Amino acid sequence: MSAPLQAAIAAHRFGLGEADLAVVGDDPVAWLKRQIGPADAQGSGLPGVAEGLRAQADARRRLASSAASGASAADTPSPTAGRDELRELVQGDIRARLLTAVNTQRPFAERLAMFWANHFTVTTLKGSTRGLVGAFEREAIRPRIAGRFVDLLRASTMHPAMLRYLDNQNSAGPRSLIVQRIARRRAATDPLAPRLSGLNENLARELLELHTLGAAHAGGRYGPWGGYSQADVTALAALLTGWRGPGEAAPRPHFDPAWHEPGDKVILNQRYAEGPQAFDAVLTDLARHPSTARHIATKLARHFLADEPPPAMVARLTEVFLQSDGDLPALYAALIDSPEAWAPAALKLKTPEEFVVSSARLLRLGQGALGRAPDAGIGAMGQRLHAAPSPAGWPDRAEEWLGPEALWQRVEWASRVADRLGASIDARPLAQAALGPRLGAATRQQIDRAADPSQALALLLMSPEFQRR
Amino acid sequence: MTALHLSRRRLLATSALLPATRLSFGAAPSAGDARLVLVILRGGLDGLGAVPAPGDPAFATARGALASYAEPALGLSGPFALHPALAQLHAMYGRGEMSVMHAVGLPYKERSHFEAQQLLESGGQRPHEVTTGWLGRALAASRGKGIALQSAVPLVLRGPATVDTWAPSALPEPAPDLVSRLGMLYEADPDLARALARAQALRADGMPTAMRGAGMAGVTRPGQAVTLAQRAAEFLGAPGGPQVAVLDMGGWDTHANQAAPQGALANNLRQLDTALATLREGLLAKGCWAQTAVLVCTEFGRQVAVNGTQGTDHGSGGAAFALGGAIAGGKVLADWPGLAPKDRFEGRDLRITTDLRAVFRTLLIDHLRLPQATVNREALPGTAELRSVPILRS
Repeated sequence: MSAPLQAAIAAHRFGLGEADLAVVGDDPVAWLKRQIGPADAQGSGLPGVAEGLRAQADARRRLASSAASGASAADTPSPTAGRDELRELVQGDIRARLLTAVNTQRPFAERLAMFWANHFTVTTLKGSTRGLVGAFEREAIRPRIAGRFVDLLRASTMHPAMLRYLDNQNSAGPRSLIVQRIARRRAATDPLAPRLSGLNENLARELLELHTLGAAHAGGRYGPWGGYSQADVTALAALLTGWRGPGEAAPRPHFDPAWHEPGDKVILNQRYAEGPQAFDAVLTDLARHPSTARHIATKLARHFLADEPPPAMVARLTEVFLQSDGDLPALYAALIDSPEAWAPAALKLKTPEEFVVSSARLLRLGQGALGRAPDAGIGAMGQRLHAAPSPAGWPDRAEEWLGPEALWQRVEWASRVADRLGASIDARPLAQAALGPRLGAATRQQIDRAADPSQALALLLMSPEFQRR
Repeated sequence: MTALHLSRRRLLATSALLPATRLSFGAAPSAGDARLVLVILRGGLDGLGAVPAPGDPAFATARGALASYAEPALGLSGPFALHPALAQLHAMYGRGEMSVMHAVGLPYKERSHFEAQQLLESGGQRPHEVTTGWLGRALAASRGKGIALQSAVPLVLRGPATVDTWAPSALPEPAPDLVSRLGMLYEADPDLARALARAQALRADGMPTAMRGAGMAGVTRPGQAVTLAQRAAEFLGAPGGPQVAVLDMGGWDTHANQAAPQGALANNLRQLDTALATLREGLLAKGCWAQTAVLVCTEFGRQVAVNGTQGTDHGSGGAAFALGGAIAGGKVLADWPGLAPKDRFEGRDLRITTDLRAVFRTLLIDHLRLPQATVNREALPGTAELRSVPILRS
């Protein structure tokens, strides 16, 4: 393969696009491998969990006081009157995510951070996690994308955003002290006693199905995944009871023995004794499970290469994951060293976020990349950032993003951006510098023959070479 | 099963050889043509929350704090009632336009949202075995048209048939010249070319686009459902419009605090209620409500007993709704298994006594008038043994 073609593939398939392929240098493989490490810091002064929780509490208070003052919807001027700190915080997190991706010089690391944040999805759609999603990415994901899988898994599972998003916060052992205590208070007809009686299986199920082993049938030809039963889900939920926080009193997640289900738990035929130590033990076992290796290897290959990646390559990545005990840098190196990874055909359709971020990099928009609503365009194309519709995260197949309406939204967005910038950017040399040998004759010709500079730029943004990677 | 393993091209060829179906879907339809709306509630609607069974002796004990609502439930026949947020649906029930199906579900036991939704939409026997949708295959066989009220085509409509998508847009339209040049650019990329051509065709049909709000690829937020229901009625009522529309609503995965009067379940049910009433009004105005069947269903029901956080975890059997002028309403169709622990599936879930695919079959065969053989072979293989469910007016 020619070095320029390899540079183009490195920049687009594994990165977020470059305005000039020269930044990749003479050795694209080395350029990628140099980037393996923790993701860039998103900047200072961004909110942590404590700020997010405080903004949540303020928002609740404001809501309660407006309800108490008897203001009806009709005579309230607008719900946004006054400063909505929580909304600003959520927008600030999205802005930080996008600006980091637009400006980073380590786009491969950034893509990995996006991949793992999606694998361990938490969203702002749930009231109790609103304001915590940016903190989750910064604290649990970004520092750990180049360590061992089990450490990433532990940090994600233990993060307050995940404990809340998947309801472990309020899951109690049916025979725990807290449940007995509350039952006594309720029996004494205490109207203030909370209603709480036992397990919530949400985290346990998604930990098995989405984060580690995978759903049994979902692996298809890349399987077998899964291998757990309802009894395993219930036992894991019992094992996870007690991991809560933070609350007003305790600033960090902690193990509260009063909430923990007493007794041993048996998960996938392994016995785990009562207590906080079982958490690490079970995550270690799940992280080492062959189903987990196959599941992660498939998802990674699917994300970077093709909706249906070559099975031989997935098998190789699986082996590396198992042999290295989930060492992520080894896995990424194996990905880059795979001959299949450099196949010239660009099969993956960019997600809306990848499209918008790579456009901003192409157009060198820098810090000025985002307007007042940083993610409006991405949302219109079908991807509201930090708001994936389910714990499974965003889909990673072209068919999910290629509805006629979704494509039309891309055209509208590209057309608007090009109208604004067409006068100052010449698409012809830009197409050559950014796409190199990937620029096909048909696209070059269309850009050359465009009616005006704006149209040329819109054609470049919407070309198959730029829509796919 | 073999039909499902045919390549896309073979399947197209097969359907082209079929004799024309009884309804000429391809021609400009008169108002007499049947319409089908499928509403998918993603996340697992709690059937016993939406359609409680206060008359079942085990109900109150099993449901605990979830057994009652802020307002009284609305009575239905037998032991059943309707969540108070479903007042307009209840009125339709009273008018004989809506029936409830209970203890209904898919033959799938593992309680994963993603696998269960895959089955709900693909109509396959095992998750991920089939990668097109049962409704998409049915439309291909009947040369019908479908529309999804979201930006991406949902799995249930995927297949060789013509399927459009529509979602609200806030941006100005691109210049037609740009679009036609993109058409040339996509000559070597059939997927992009097809999506662009369909989007263009939708606009050429004069469909308005300038509405506020953004559509999401995965799941429609509940707040949008009313707007989308309104548009669905306009599409279905337009001359030459689609026969089938698919809407979906997310947010039904109620693991915690399910009984809160302003909680997710109550709010979502209110939105659903308003959206369905809006759909009815729209279709009435277009004169096609009488020929319409709407099916509202979900991937699975939830555990019978309240969980430790005043919510419900994933279960099996649940409830579904059929409404429309074509529906024989005012009934609760349920071969009720009972809620006592011994009657439950694995001691925890409402047992499934009606296969949801039997409802799909009934709608395809008796409402859209697809030949039974086509349904058996292409739309829903492996379901030939299922008996039809009496939801339609005869």
